[in-house]
Amino acid sequence: MEITMTLDCKGLSCPMPMMKITKTMKGLNTGDVLEILGTDPGTKTDLPSWCAKNGHELLETTDLEGGVNRMVVRKG
Amino acid sequence: MSKQNKNSLSELFGMLFGKHWPVWVGGILLGLLNIILFSIKSPWGASGGITNLGDNLFSLLGMFPGKEVTAVTSSNYGMLVVLIVFGSFAGALFSKEFALRVPPKGEMIKGVIGGALMAVGATVGIGCSIGSFFSGVPALSGGALVFSFAMFAGVIVSLKYLIWEMEKFPKWSTGKSYTFLAAAPEKGRWQIIAGTIVLICVIVIAYTYTDTNPVMSWFIIIATLMGLISQRSRFCIVKSFRDPFMSGESHGTVGVIAGLAVSLIGFTAIKYFSIGDISEVSQRARELTWVFPNFWGKALIGGFIFGLGMTVAGGCAVGTLWRVGEGQIKLWFSLLGLVIFSPVSNKYIVPFVDGILPQSSRFRSYLPDYIGYDGAFLLITLILIVWYVFVKWNERTGKFSAF
Repeated sequence: MEITMTLDCKGLSCPMPMMKITKTMKGLNTGDVLEILGTDPGTKTDLPSWCAKNGHELLETTDLEGGVNRMVVRKG
Repeated sequence: MSKQNKNSLSELFGMLFGKHWPVWVGGILLGLLNIILFSIKSPWGASGGITNLGDNLFSLLGMFPGKEVTAVTSSNYGMLVVLIVFGSFAGALFSKEFALRVPPKGEMIKGVIGGALMAVGATVGIGCSIGSFFSGVPALSGGALVFSFAMFAGVIVSLKYLIWEMEKFPKWSTGKSYTFLAAAPEKGRWQIIAGTIVLICVIVIAYTYTDTNPVMSWFIIIATLMGLISQRSRFCIVKSFRDPFMSGESHGTVGVIAGLAVSLIGFTAIKYFSIGDISEVSQRARELTWVFPNFWGKALIGGFIFGLGMTVAGGCAVGTLWRVGEGQIKLWFSLLGLVIFSPVSNKYIVPFVDGILPQSSRFRSYLPDYIGYDGAFLLITLILIVWYVFVKWNERTGKFSAF
């Protein structure tokens, strides 16, 4: 899986991560893969329903060291 | 304890703290706890307690002399605010979600500005997203309805600003960030132990009041549960107003509508039948509980400013408090803004607004006085249904969402 772009949302709280994800996704092409690194627990809940609603594919959600969540989304 | 019992307990623990709860579950539980608070004394509120914290801070610093200040430990609503933070702290620890999350500098500045605006809005409007919305609307207050619509307008304006800021000045929300004390995956057992200690402390604090002030004991336990429930369900008023117009999502809104519907039934019954301790207050005073003299001018101005503030801060009154307990440093700055500017606004801004607004734009408007209990109940039910239908329709069509 080739990551097209990485978005750093570490330290940000609601609504900034979702706003940044939405804006970044707009600039990508269908099939591109966005990697998101964040620390807000809310994004882990908001992202799956947002992906489902907008036709994107949530490929991976992993908890990394240091409280960082890694989420990988393919643009649909 | 048998192995089977142990397994059942860890299953329950995993269910409560493994994943976030649906917001509607949080909304219903918070609505029920709000009814219990009202039946014991008066409904849920946050800005009064926050002002109490600010008054104590200024008194400690020797500022605003001559003002009589109730100690936080004697103020039901001051303790309510503190214990919501404790409850959220416990919830975040049990779910290993606690961490000190330091955002980029620009976000911390926005936190203080958002908090200060919320302070001005809440003191001018007499109530916040809880007192003049989540509790005020079910309390059948006309002022709370005006506050809510004005708050909605403030949220939309502020959301437009955030989108503009992100497009034009993306650097304001980027930069160095730090995270401390986070639980590593498969580790972080210390957070569960710390959560247990926090809960034990809360129970001890509540117990110390049982003889002298039993109402306070109830407030302490209920506030802790409210903080924990809000953190687990990520219950947030700003989310419920903002998300349909941002991402189009409706689950936050549905959660708030569920809580309002539950409270509406309970509050109407309490007021209609004068349920609760009315030995010290008249039946009329019971009816007018949480119906503030803010109709319509003060509610309009206060609600709009509060809506601006909570969107910039990224947390309403309760959303700020539970995010403080979760370790979101931006919201620590919002709380600081709220605590500092609430007494300042009370001293300088509120008298100014009262001076320019005629009495006819700052009085108590109790909806049943005009349209009866049945009319008031139906009006609010209708507003909730229309709101629900709108956000669900918008979620499907995306007509009003920015992205």
